[in-house]
Amino acid sequence: MKELFPAKQVMGFVSSLLLTVVALCVYFLDMSFEVGMTILLVTAFIQAALQLVFFMHAGESSDKKAIYTNVYYGIAIALVTVFGTLLTLIWGYM
Amino acid sequence: MKLDKSQPLEYGTHQNQMNILGFWIFLGAEIMLFGTLFASFFTLENGVGSGPTGADVFEITPVVLETIILLTSSFTIGLATHAMRINNKKATLVFLGITLLLGLSFLSVEIYEFIHYYHVGLTLQTSAFSAILLTTLGTHGAHVTFGLFWGLFIFLQIKKRGFTPETTNKSFIFSLYWHFLDVVWIFIFSFIYLKGLM
Repeated sequence: MKELFPAKQVMGFVSSLLLTVVALCVYFLDMSFEVGMTILLVTAFIQAALQLVFFMHAGESSDKKAIYTNVYYGIAIALVTVFGTLLTLIWGYM
Repeated sequence: MKLDKSQPLEYGTHQNQMNILGFWIFLGAEIMLFGTLFASFFTLENGVGSGPTGADVFEITPVVLETIILLTSSFTIGLATHAMRINNKKATLVFLGITLLLGLSFLSVEIYEFIHYYHVGLTLQTSAFSAILLTTLGTHGAHVTFGLFWGLFIFLQIKKRGFTPETTNKSFIFSLYWHFLDVVWIFIFSFIYLKGLM
């Protein structure tokens, strides 16, 4: 039974639950918008990285470089899209 | 077909390795797809018109429930991949089955949520906010629905054929897809729900 639950994956699961609890503080505790957003940004990106490394085995094959380059590329485009949109359509008019 | 024994079975052939790399490229495109949805959401979220805002309609209980269910299912599909690598067919099927049941429960909670939105007067046509909210949640939900059928067919194939280079490759790729859906949900949970409720 024990060999079915490798420590690495159990740790990944427990940490993702803990990070969810931390993120929930934003709702249950009273805090400013800036502090709340900072907490959410940190917990969300750590959780995403946890999934990638602990569960998705992103670095285990010989295609490691191509896989990481591609994922970073996707993330970079997504971030430019999100923050570029915010910059041109929202923040400029506040 | 040359089988490389030094690798887990799902990487064993050149074709398998290319399938996995190809799927990662697809996931890169999916990251961008959800990036554009989030960009649109942040642009339109204040356009509520005379309709309800996020803070008016979001309920924390179903959202936390969905998050826990999806995180657990991401854990169990990881365990299924691990069980597959130690050649334990029964455990693989059990973990894959649990994953699919959790996916089904996630979907039930999400459907309950959509019905709740409908009853409080938030539909696709209510406002710019409601349109982009339901589009973003719906795109994720459609991915989960697709994954349920995909996972079911892989479950049946493993049950029938056991572990072959093909079935292990398929279930590894399915596990990548499922983890990815969990990652997307984490961002929906943080930047749509919690941000909206803050």
